[in-house]
Amino acid sequence: MPLLALLILVPAAAGLACLLVRSRRLLPALGVLAFSATLGLGIALVRQVLARGVVTEWNGFLFADALSAWMVLVISAVSLASSIYAVGYFRRDLADGTVTERRFREFYVLTPLFGASMFLVVLANNLGVIWFAVEATALSSVLLVALYNRRTSLEAAWKYIILGSLGLALALMGTVFVYAAACKNNTQSLTSFNWTYLMGVAGQLDPRLLKLAFVFALIGYGTKAGLAPMHTWLPDAHSEAPAPTSATLSGVSLKIALYALLRFSILTTACLGTPYSQHLLLGFGLLSMCVATPFILVQTNMKRLFAYHSLEHIGIICVGLGLSVPLALFGAVLHIGYHALVKSTIFFAAGNIHQRCHTLQLPKLAGLLKTMPASSILLALAVIGIAGLPPFGIFLTEFGIVAGGMGAGRVLVSVLFIAALVTVFSGLLSHVAHLLLGAPTQEALGPRTPLSCVAAMALLIALLAVLSLWLPAPLLELLRRAAALIGGSP
Amino acid sequence: MNPPTAETASNLITLLASFMLVLQLLMAVQSMLVSNIRLFALQSLLLAGIAAVVGYAYSACHVYLVALLTFVGKVVFLPWLLERLVRQLKIEQEIRPFVNVPGSMLLCGALTVLAYVVAHPVTSLERLGSNTLAVALALLLTGFFLMINRRKAITQVLALLTMENGVMLAAIALTSYGMPLVVEIGIFFDLVTAVMVLGILVYRIRESFDSMDTSKLNQLKG
Repeated sequence: MPLLALLILVPAAAGLACLLVRSRRLLPALGVLAFSATLGLGIALVRQVLARGVVTEWNGFLFADALSAWMVLVISAVSLASSIYAVGYFRRDLADGTVTERRFREFYVLTPLFGASMFLVVLANNLGVIWFAVEATALSSVLLVALYNRRTSLEAAWKYIILGSLGLALALMGTVFVYAAACKNNTQSLTSFNWTYLMGVAGQLDPRLLKLAFVFALIGYGTKAGLAPMHTWLPDAHSEAPAPTSATLSGVSLKIALYALLRFSILTTACLGTPYSQHLLLGFGLLSMCVATPFILVQTNMKRLFAYHSLEHIGIICVGLGLSVPLALFGAVLHIGYHALVKSTIFFAAGNIHQRCHTLQLPKLAGLLKTMPASSILLALAVIGIAGLPPFGIFLTEFGIVAGGMGAGRVLVSVLFIAALVTVFSGLLSHVAHLLLGAPTQEALGPRTPLSCVAAMALLIALLAVLSLWLPAPLLELLRRAAALIGGSP
Repeated sequence: MNPPTAETASNLITLLASFMLVLQLLMAVQSMLVSNIRLFALQSLLLAGIAAVVGYAYSACHVYLVALLTFVGKVVFLPWLLERLVRQLKIEQEIRPFVNVPGSMLLCGALTVLAYVVAHPVTSLERLGSNTLAVALALLLTGFFLMINRRKAITQVLALLTMENGVMLAAIALTSYGMPLVVEIGIFFDLVTAVMVLGILVYRIRESFDSMDTSKLNQLKG
């Protein structure tokens, strides 16, 4: 069965089908169905990757190794949860007229296309194809950010697309440099742009060109991944999008751009043999963590708070990748998954709160535990998870990164890392304690939260709890291989 | 391929590339919106010309196709789309930049010099023309400046497109064949979709703000 092709075609077909379907009830079903299918395909893909190492299809046009397979799992899990969540979410939005029927349809056409382009990013073999797939993720999500058509959401969408495209123009320049290096000692053809080919000849590529290429890719894909100081679009876009889209944007789309950057980093390291790209990743990672911290402490809007928090976590992942010791790499790769699960749950909770209380201003909200207990308990669990408290896995991954850093003798980096984590921890817990505990200050305006909105959250939290306590052996093996791949072993 | 053709082609490419830079500088000082769109169309025409010259000199069929795509997309379709948008929305013609004309000219000149300095160590890697990589970088940098310097949403789109032209020029200069066809087509469709999406956004921004001045998009802070 052509697994890789199906992974891209199934959601793409679902998106196109939504364009034709008349019935309003069928749309959500199609969304859920498509992403259930991709989750199944993703699991099958993991099996194949574990058995065969690398899976290629369509004459090597599509390709998957351990890292791609892991990203496929993350994309599928979050997209499935957010398509389940969207069922109840948009039913309420449609009922009170917040979205028009047309925008509702737009959501169901664009979301699967967004998913399909993310799958294409992680499954493409060709660096040029990766580039246009990343651009496609930006183009398919920008109208989702503008879905509510408020003034602020238009502003957010404009910033998102302009900064994203600017960044991607630079990333394209980086891609061109790699291609120039590759076709120097090769007759030009499609294959000389392929990841599998490039890795084979990495040692013979021109190091000057690759250094230049990596810097362009870092700024370019770094903008899309929300690395500071190119992050200014991130809190706007993530806070103005509808909740299911915010979840996908913050949970996976950032990491998709990071994945593209990571491919450049692996290639540069293989070519230069020095930790040139790792140092840059480490620097930008720490900077992102430090930049995010004050904004988290003083934030008054719940969604913006957690958008900045995503910036912090992208920083954490970059630091882990930049440290480039096995323990930290493993931590960073696993962190990608845990963070995706938890951050989506939190944005779902924010969506529930917004629909019920009609505001996300933290000073106006309090005592939610009494007014909306189910969402609040799940939110509390998610925040405990994301703040890095045991028993949830983020404690483990962050600990791994710190331990790796200390072990590698990077004391200053580790201390800065811990300082940022502790500050964010206290800021986050004080915000959320105020939000959930105490006497309710506002009356609930909206209707009760529908089942699907709570179910999607519960599903993700349950998955997180299980994976925190017990990683199945195949998954563990997959993660080990992905970390080894980034670490430089073939 | 015989050497004289290659040399002629190389000279021709250098000439066309330098005209692209001249057009970019004209865009920086031109204050009418429609003229700006036409200057961009002309610049893209030169890019298509370069691709055609490469296709001819190396008898590479797929580069002709790239030239054709550039012509249809960037010379005909996108300018048409943008001009239609300008007419439909009755956008005011005059561009009021933040930096005045002499200032812009000086800054663009400085950026061009900077591009030459940056590109100098890697000029040996160029396959075609001389200094084409420097021109490409100059297009990229002045594109950045154009984007920062302008308030109107549509002029920012134009700046983005000129940067894209710079990247495509670099692709041709560095690799002598341009990129593989699949990638070129992908980039092309992305670009067209991007402009259409941007057009939709411009339309909606115009509707709810009664203006296209992006400096009014300033509610989201902190």
